[in-house]
Amino acid sequence: MITSAAFMAFMLVGVPIGLCLCLAGLVYIAASGNPVLFQSYPLQLFGGVDSYGLIAIPLFILIGEIMNGGGITRRIVDMAMAFVGSLKGGLAYVNILANMFISSILGSATAQVAIMAQIMVPEMEKKGYDKTFAAGLTAYGGMLGPIIPPSVMFVVYSVLAQVSVSDMLIAGIVPGVILTVMFCLVIALMGYVYNYPRADHQTPRQRIMTILRTSPTLLIPIVIVGSILGGLANATESAAVGAVAAALVGKFWTREFEFSQLPQMMLRSAIYSAIVLFLVAAAAVFSWVLIFGKVPQETAAWIQTVAKDPVSFMLICNVILLVIGTVIDGIPGLIMTVPILLPVATEVYHIDPRQFGVVVVINLVLGLLSPPVGLCFFVAAAVTGAKPGKMFMVTLPFFVISCVLLVLLSLYPSLSLILVK
Amino acid sequence: MPATRAFGLRRMVIGASSILLAVERLALMGLMYLLTGLILVNVVTRYSHFPIYWIDESAVYCVVWLTFIGASAMTRLRLDFAVTMLTERLSPQHQRLAKVISTGLVVVFGVALIVTCVLWMDPVGLARAGFDGRKLAAETFNFLYTERTQTLNWPTWVLYLTLPIFAVSMTVHGLANLLEDLELVARTAPKGFQLSELDGVN
Amino acid sequence: QAKEFRLGLITPNGHSWNKAALKFGDELKAATNGRLTLTVFHSGQLGNEPAMMQQLQSGALDMGFIQAAELGSRVPHIAAINAPYIVRSTPAVAKFVRHPAAVKLFDVLPQETGTIGLGWGITGMRAVFSSKDLNTLADIKGMKLRINPTPVYRDFYSSLGAAPTPIPTPQVFDAMANGQVDGLEADLEFSWNQRFDKVSKVILQMNAVFMPMAAVVSGRVWQSLPAADRELITKSIKSTLDAQIDELAGNEPALIENFKKAPIPIRQVDAKDTEAVIAEFDKIWLPKAPVLAELRKVGATL
Ligand code: NA
Ligand code: NA
Repeated sequence: MITSAAFMAFMLVGVPIGLCLCLAGLVYIAASGNPVLFQSYPLQLFGGVDSYGLIAIPLFILIGEIMNGGGITRRIVDMAMAFVGSLKGGLAYVNILANMFISSILGSATAQVAIMAQIMVPEMEKKGYDKTFAAGLTAYGGMLGPIIPPSVMFVVYSVLAQVSVSDMLIAGIVPGVILTVMFCLVIALMGYVYNYPRADHQTPRQRIMTILRTSPTLLIPIVIVGSILGGLANATESAAVGAVAAALVGKFWTREFEFSQLPQMMLRSAIYSAIVLFLVAAAAVFSWVLIFGKVPQETAAWIQTVAKDPVSFMLICNVILLVIGTVIDGIPGLIMTVPILLPVATEVYHIDPRQFGVVVVINLVLGLLSPPVGLCFFVAAAVTGAKPGKMFMVTLPFFVISCVLLVLLSLYPSLSLILVK
Repeated sequence: MPATRAFGLRRMVIGASSILLAVERLALMGLMYLLTGLILVNVVTRYSHFPIYWIDESAVYCVVWLTFIGASAMTRLRLDFAVTMLTERLSPQHQRLAKVISTGLVVVFGVALIVTCVLWMDPVGLARAGFDGRKLAAETFNFLYTERTQTLNWPTWVLYLTLPIFAVSMTVHGLANLLEDLELVARTAPKGFQLSELDGVN
Repeated sequence: QAKEFRLGLITPNGHSWNKAALKFGDELKAATNGRLTLTVFHSGQLGNEPAMMQQLQSGALDMGFIQAAELGSRVPHIAAINAPYIVRSTPAVAKFVRHPAAVKLFDVLPQETGTIGLGWGITGMRAVFSSKDLNTLADIKGMKLRINPTPVYRDFYSSLGAAPTPIPTPQVFDAMANGQVDGLEADLEFSWNQRFDKVSKVILQMNAVFMPMAAVVSGRVWQSLPAADRELITKSIKSTLDAQIDELAGNEPALIENFKKAPIPIRQVDAKDTEAVIAEFDKIWLPKAPVLAELRKVGATL
């Protein structure tokens, strides 16, 4: 009790969330009358990140850095343009498809929104789209980043839940594709209502040339997947192989990547990963004291009195997570909720931990796109100058359709598990 | 006189924090190169039928060190997830107060972590036992200095050193930030970091 | 006085060790009319085994089920129980871990680890699952083999000419499926749960090594307990572990039947092929753990 009060107080004064977790852990130990726990405190912090699965995070982030530095993102947009640019609402489709493709290389929503908003929003504005809508749409496109593999959030989840990293990554594929299709349907509908413009007309010859010119970008996901299927690497190591592929494509084909940029890219990757990893360490300490204080056990008992079957449990979780997601973003949300909800899900309701992970992650990603704290909107706003609050309103249909997906994923485990062994 | 001494102390904290940050910057780059290199070497050697037994473990510890060194650096760079829902609605004056409190809590954490590290690593007891880990274990049930890692076979305490280092550097960076927030020294831009406006990863 | 104990272990709910832990808690509660209770923290909720050991040493954690690999990496004397071919079948394992010689290994625990050992629990004999054909021990030579990375196993499989490859447990199935490794070694129960037979061409029953677990109590906590409680805990943990051992050994024939129904052959290692391996292994380990000689003598009688 005093632990959660302390935690809330720290958080509201603006203490970084990782430190809120660490400090609340110390408060718990001080209040528990069991001071020997202080001696175990540093080792719990260490143990939280002493895990093989987490190696993937710095490597996933590194690929994104190298790819962006090599101008590969721009070419992916060109390719999507050649495919769907001439449809009504063409640039909106281009936005979503390019985002889906980039999601297969990048692991993080905010990074993706920052990259894509710089390219897509000016382009869409030029063609007569409302800037706020363009920025908001790009933010939803970024939502695919952590759903379609690779995904930093799924890696963090699989470490918290002790399930296979590759299982989790694969579980995201079908929901990610469904979400892309749903977004395209919404665009088709909105394009009809608001009469969205077409992009520049391209002759078939121009299209084929563009596709040929941009196709080497495909090498990066092919190398990543190929290295796994060919027995060269596991899901974690494939990120390092992919980084090498991105560097080579950037150096010898786009010729925008220079090895002199590498030290700064390494530094940025290290710091951005440390932000995530330190949260994981802090969460380990926090959940350790929660478990010592039997909070998960008591929460489980409470939820069981409310939810009678797995479906109602899943729906309750969706509501809880959406509420949490309005104020707390992605990974911190994951870290705070999974240790409490997952044991209940698996032990009481016999829900597959991988299905549960897909629902939790997508739910919290949606939190990145909901007020008052919606990090993806903030990033899109920072890059383009659009207003974050208005962004939510003009893209409301996308929010609604995402909630529909969540309900489907909660009801039908096979949507998440069909590709998993 | 006291004024100059206080001023000298402030300069010392800021100076120490800058030096630490410069070292951390190099360490982070180095660890990231090392991690990528270890993983690639592992892929190649395993594929060519000569797997190196200790690489996985080294890569894991590389990431652990990267975590704590990075966490310390990002404190000084003021890069972190924080909830600003309440504080951004306060008056500028109260905002400053909240900032001072939250930075103060960083220092509190740093100091507390130093204390827990001392309790855990028991440097005094170790010195009293003549720096003999087994003797310390016999006297205090603290077996820290007798353990080794599974595949590298390094003494584990060497790897755990990242925590006391983190505790100290966190405290120094926290103090430097606090001095800036109290407007006792001017804010300085960190050197050598080209960071974008993204303030998080998810 | 009333006391609530905490027991930590790394296996997930439903594992036979977890069932034993819960049963031990029930017995304790029934025998003392609820004065002594036990909360079981499974799946490494309180940390991995090194972290649990640290908490046992400081007295933050009362009890743990700790694998011999973890204790053996701290104390070579304990690692001797992981040595190959001390016994050659799971029923023999079941007898061996209850033999006074095996129980006596715990004598060094208080001094070396700050914990008190009360008894062994077991998993079955480990087998090699391979994606290339294996008939004899000699065929293991040159294999990239995923092993449990404990020093004893490493030396054993190295002496067979394999290249031991540590792969984290959750990634093992994929590593086999993709061909990152040519084979893996694991106990049959775990292998059946993970369905390693689906990614293998052959199973070779090594009948060489097994991974027991020690039920340990924090030395600090133990000192603070009245003699009657110590006796009660010792007695009820022994009886629950006895049941765990018997049940696991009893389930093995059914497990082997399951594997026999799988479309891949399950083969045995020829006993006479093992002499040279034992000699080579003992050259390394007898100096580190002299007790190994005695364990071999005892094992031969079972
Ligand atoms: Na992705
Ligand atoms: Na939100």
